[in-house]
Amino acid sequence: MKGSPEQSRPPISYVEGLARHYGAMGHPPYQWTVNESAPLHRLRKPVRECRVTMLTSGGISLCSMPGFDPMARNDHRLDEIPVDAGATDFQIHDSYYDHADADRDINCQFPIDRLRELVAAGEIGSLAPRFWSGFMGRIYNRSKVLNESGPQFVAELVRDQVDLLIAVPA
Amino acid sequence: MGLVCRVVEEAGIATVCVSTGRDLTQQVKPPRSLFVNFPMGNAFGAPFDVAMQRAILRAALDLAETAREPGVLVDLPYVWPEAFAFAPGTANM
Repeated sequence: MKGSPEQSRPPISYVEGLARHYGAMGHPPYQWTVNESAPLHRLRKPVRECRVTMLTSGGISLCSMPGFDPMARNDHRLDEIPVDAGATDFQIHDSYYDHADADRDINCQFPIDRLRELVAAGEIGSLAPRFWSGFMGRIYNRSKVLNESGPQFVAELVRDQVDLLIAVPA
Repeated sequence: MGLVCRVVEEAGIATVCVSTGRDLTQQVKPPRSLFVNFPMGNAFGAPFDVAMQRAILRAALDLAETAREPGVLVDLPYVWPEAFAFAPGTANM
C-alpha cells in the first residue's frame, strides 16, 4: 500500500451519499454545519511530554457493555474505555460503514495498541486513564453537543488532564 | 465529530481529527484534520498493517504539534489498493 499520485482517486462525496440515504429512510434533510473559521489552541509542549487520549464515533463498545444502536440518530451516548483495554475486547455496531476490517483488528480505526507502543517508545508523554467512544453520527440536535454533551466531555478530559485529543470519526 | 473537536479546542485542549470523509471534514472545519483517502472504518489502514497504522498515527501527532493555521486540513498521500464506495445500510455493515 504505497502512496503514489498517479494511482490516487478522488475522495468519496459523503455529503451527497448521506443526503440520498437519509432521504430514502424518510429522515428530514440534514442541514450540514458549514464553518468558515475554526478555533486553534496551540500545544504548549511537545507531544513527547503530552498526555493524550482518543475518541471514536464508530459505534465501538467494550464487549462487556451493550452494543451501540447501529442505526442511531441523535445518540449522545459516550462510553469511557480503560486505557489498558485489550484489542480483542471490542464489538462494533454501526450501519453506516463497513467495519469488517476493524472487527478483525480494532487498530484500523481505533489504534490503541499503536498509541501504547508510542508511549513505550517515548514519542508520547503518557496516555490518559480513559479512551472514549461515542457521539455516533446523525446528530441532528447539534445545539446539545455545543451546550450539553460536548461540555460534559470536556469536563472529563480536564479531569484526566488531557493535553491532546485524537478524534477518529466513522 | 468535528463539532466535538471544536468544543474541546475552544475549552483549551488541542485536538486532531483523523478523517476518511474529506467533504464532511471540510464543511465542519475541525481545528486540525488529517485526511486519509481510505474506506470509512480504515482511518489507520488495513488490519495488522502495524507500520501503516503507526505512520498515520505519527502524522496525526506531528500535525498536532506543528499546526499553526486554524482549520488546517492535510491530505496524506497513501492510496488504498482497491476501489471502494460508500453504501450505508447495506449488508455486512
